[in-house]
Order: sequence, then structure tokens, then C-alpha cells
Amino acid sequence: MTRILFGRRLTVVGVVAMSAGLVAAMVAPPDRVQGDVQRLMYIHVPAAWLAYLSFAVTLGSSVGWLWRRTARYDRVAAASAEVGVFFTGLAIVLGSIWGKPTWGVWWTWDPRVVTTAVMFFVYLGYLALRRATVDSVARARRSAVFGVVAFVQVPIVHMSVVWWRALHQPPTVLKPGDPSIDHVMLATLLLNVLAFTLLYLLLLRARMRLAVVEEELERTSLGEGQELAGNAVLAPRLERS
Amino acid sequence: MKRYRLLAFSGVGVVAILAGVLLFGNLNENLVYYLTPQEALAQRVEFPDGRRFQLGGFVEKDTVVRTQDGLRFAVASGVEPGSPSITVEHHGAPAQLFQAGIGVVLEGSWQGDEFVSDTMKVKHDENYQPPDTEGGAQ
Repeated sequence: MTRILFGRRLTVVGVVAMSAGLVAAMVAPPDRVQGDVQRLMYIHVPAAWLAYLSFAVTLGSSVGWLWRRTARYDRVAAASAEVGVFFTGLAIVLGSIWGKPTWGVWWTWDPRVVTTAVMFFVYLGYLALRRATVDSVARARRSAVFGVVAFVQVPIVHMSVVWWRALHQPPTVLKPGDPSIDHVMLATLLLNVLAFTLLYLLLLRARMRLAVVEEELERTSLGEGQELAGNAVLAPRLERS
Repeated sequence: MKRYRLLAFSGVGVVAILAGVLLFGNLNENLVYYLTPQEALAQRVEFPDGRRFQLGGFVEKDTVVRTQDGLRFAVASGVEPGSPSITVEHHGAPAQLFQAGIGVVLEGSWQGDEFVSDTMKVKHDENYQPPDTEGGAQ
């Protein structure tokens, strides 16, 4: 398991899955009403679902940190939130591009669109909070609490189209009952979800490796007994004085 | 530790209140994205001529007529015949997917018995089917 996760194989499998997903998205039948524009679904929906998953992982590892106080949980929570913000942004941008030809507008104050934007900013706030706290234990504690509370956004985003009247259509797959989608299209969508999940793991792994290096750097550069940077440089002086 | 427990409790409390308000609070009145023709007709007095709101419904079949600078058609609350409908005078180009039977959200105001709109959004449903299949929407 760890060898697959931490070896180079993940990259290879990820690239293969993404290529297969792209090909499948191109050869899948077009939609009856929307035509080829509907193909945007194969990246818009996985991006949105992976945003949910990312924030769920942040929730889980935040709880894990509060319970066990292991630095590793904090690293996973931070990395996953960062990747989640990326996927949320991607879903919003792709949704906007999809909205113009189908709805007729780039943006509208629709409940799904607005709650997704709020989720984006809430997790940007999470990342900002991490930057604003210097002490690593205080940072882990504060962001763990934030990571737990912020997750309330995810069910709100998902249920927004059910709870309120919206322009965005209600869920096709993530709902009770049979998915209201052609089965070839559904298979294509699920393949792309798998590809995006692998992309998520790749990004998470890269971000966690970076976090380890960053912590190392922090430890060595802020270590005690070291000279402050710039100490050797003399302040400029007027020559005649 | 005590401080932390307080923080956790207040956090859980805030989440519970938020969830309760969202689930049971009557936020719907303030969050209505559009009115259906039925509601728009029932609330006619609250929306005098010129007061803008969004009207959403389905484009009735065999009612779409081109006009000089737009379209005239009827918007109904449901797809079944006989559901309450309003005649719409739309100024401007229709949205790309505009067709009889599709959902639309129009922005505009009452003008007598007609709804005059200048912005149209098409609302597509959650069913995806290839072109050669019939009746994908159950």
C-alpha cells in the first residue's frame, strides 16, 4: 500500500487514468438537449466531488489531530484543504464556462453557486489562519477546530439545490434512487472521478512532502544560537562623520 | 484544557444552531430565486407594474412567436396542460438552449396582464441522455 502510494507508480497510474478519462469524455454520446457542451460535466462534477472529499479528509484529520496530537494529522489536514480549495476553484470556473452556453449567464445569484463560492472563501480563510499563526502547536489546534467547523459548508453546498429553488439542476447521481443518466455517460463520469481521485492523491502527496521540507527549514533557520541573517552587514554610514 | 472544552462546546453549539436554522427556519421566503407563474399570479398585488422579480417555469408548447426585438410565449408552472401560465414578452435574444418545453427563469416586471422580461436564463434538468433516446425525463 505505502509503496504504491509513495512510489512512482501512482504518477503513472494517475496519468493513464486521466488520459483514459479524457478519451472517454470525448467519445461518450452527446446530451440530447445540451449537445457537446454537456461534456464539461466530466470535469466539472469530479472537481466538485473531489472538493467534498478533500474537505472530508481535512475534517477527519482535524479530528485525528485533536484526538492524537500527531503532527502528521495536521499536515494531512492542511494539504487536503489546499487541494480542496484548488478543486473548488476549478469547479466554480468550469461551472461558469458551462453556465454561459446553457443558462446564458456566466454568474447568477443561485443558491448552489453562492454557497460554493462561500465554501471557497471559508477554506481560503482556513489557509489564511494557518499562515497567521507562527507557533506550530497553536496553529495545529486552531486550524483543527476550524477544519471541523468549516465542514458544515459541504452538506449545505450539496443540499442547496434541494433545499432552495435554484437555477442549478438538482443532483443526478448523489441522490436516493437510480441515477438519472445514460449508463455509458455514467461510466465515463465515474472513470473521470477515479482519475481525479488519483490526481488528488498526487497533489496531496506532493503538498505533504513540501510540508515536511518546510518544517525542516523552519527548524533549522529558526534554531537557537544562530546568527540573525544580515548581522555581518554594516549599516551604511556617511563618510565624513 | 478547560478553555479548549469551552471552545469545542461553543463550536458545536454554533454548528447545531446553524443547521437548525437552515433546516427548519423559514428562510425560504427571503431566498426565493424565482416565483412560479402560480405564485406570481397569486402575489400580483405585491408586485405592481415595474417592480422587478424573477419568473420561472416551463415554456408552453405552440406558444412561441417571434416579435420585432424578441419573443412572445407563455410560461407555465408545470409541463402538464392546464397548469397556470403567464404570457411573456421578452426583449432581446433568447438563450442558446431556448425551446418549447424547457425551463426558463426570466427577469422583468408585470405590464398589465403580461410579464415583460429583458433577461433570460435557461434551466436544464438533471437528466442526461443521448440524442436517439426518447423521454429521458421521468
